[in-house]
Amino acid sequence: MSGDGECTGGDLLRRALAGERAAFGALVRTHQRMVFSLALRMLRDRHAAEDLAQEVFLQLYRSLSAVSSEAHLAFWLRKVTAHRAIDRLRREPRLEMAPLEEAQLSAGEAHSRDPILERRLRSLVAQLPPAARAVMLLRYQEDLDPADIARTLRMPVNTVKSHLKRSLAELRERMTSSGALT
Amino acid sequence: MSDDRHEPESNDLERRLRAALKPVNPGEGFTAGVMARVAAEPRPARRPRSPAVVSWLAFGLAASVVLAVLLAHEWQVRRIEQGREARRQLIEALRVTDEKLNLAYRVVNSRQDAAPAQHSGA
Repeated sequence: MSGDGECTGGDLLRRALAGERAAFGALVRTHQRMVFSLALRMLRDRHAAEDLAQEVFLQLYRSLSAVSSEAHLAFWLRKVTAHRAIDRLRREPRLEMAPLEEAQLSAGEAHSRDPILERRLRSLVAQLPPAARAVMLLRYQEDLDPADIARTLRMPVNTVKSHLKRSLAELRERMTSSGALT
Repeated sequence: MSDDRHEPESNDLERRLRAALKPVNPGEGFTAGVMARVAAEPRPARRPRSPAVVSWLAFGLAASVVLAVLLAHEWQVRRIEQGREARRQLIEALRVTDEKLNLAYRVVNSRQDAAPAQHSGA
């Protein structure tokens, strides 16, 4: 946050709401990792993910007046990104058919302790159905609890728990059968 | 998220998932790309007042009107009471004046009646 180091998220939001574009730019820099990572792991395509993430921030700019706090902003961004990604996958099934990009699989490996295993996990998560994938990303990338995931994706908490349980079981089975987990 | 049999494995799997799914940065020009698209947009409308704010304003306005009516009524009642008190005091003053005048009249009359009698007696 160069130049905005002394500002809290709430200050930036207030300034952005007052129409200050530089403050909006700082908000984008603050949240772009989260939005882009969600989009990338949902869409499995770097260019499509950057495009979707930009659209999310553009939508945020247009509806900034509806955002009431920093926490609401993070919730709003996660919700809009997840829903837009799921819609995009419905409209463009080719994104689901395309082979996983090396760039997507290797993203974040620089500081990895076990890059091969982590790459395998990213690949398996990317192969989950879109709704289950969104649930897993919100749980393990964003560290949300099931109730927050349910609110973000507008689905019942029990459905979220059931997605988590089934996805974890599937990942465990596939990791174990491939020898990646003992 | 898992039954007891899988608990340690699940914790290990969950830990590894968190490590594998750490957020990553978009490309270098991402923010600039967003801001270029934002620059082409008209400035968004200012935040409309939320329904809660609007209802509080309406409540405040209604409460002010009720308070103003009550104060006006109280002021009117006081004025009427002050008028009545003034009237009562005036009537009392007139009554006292009347008594004094009657007394003076009687005193004057009684002296006038006594004066001819003295003259005739002399």
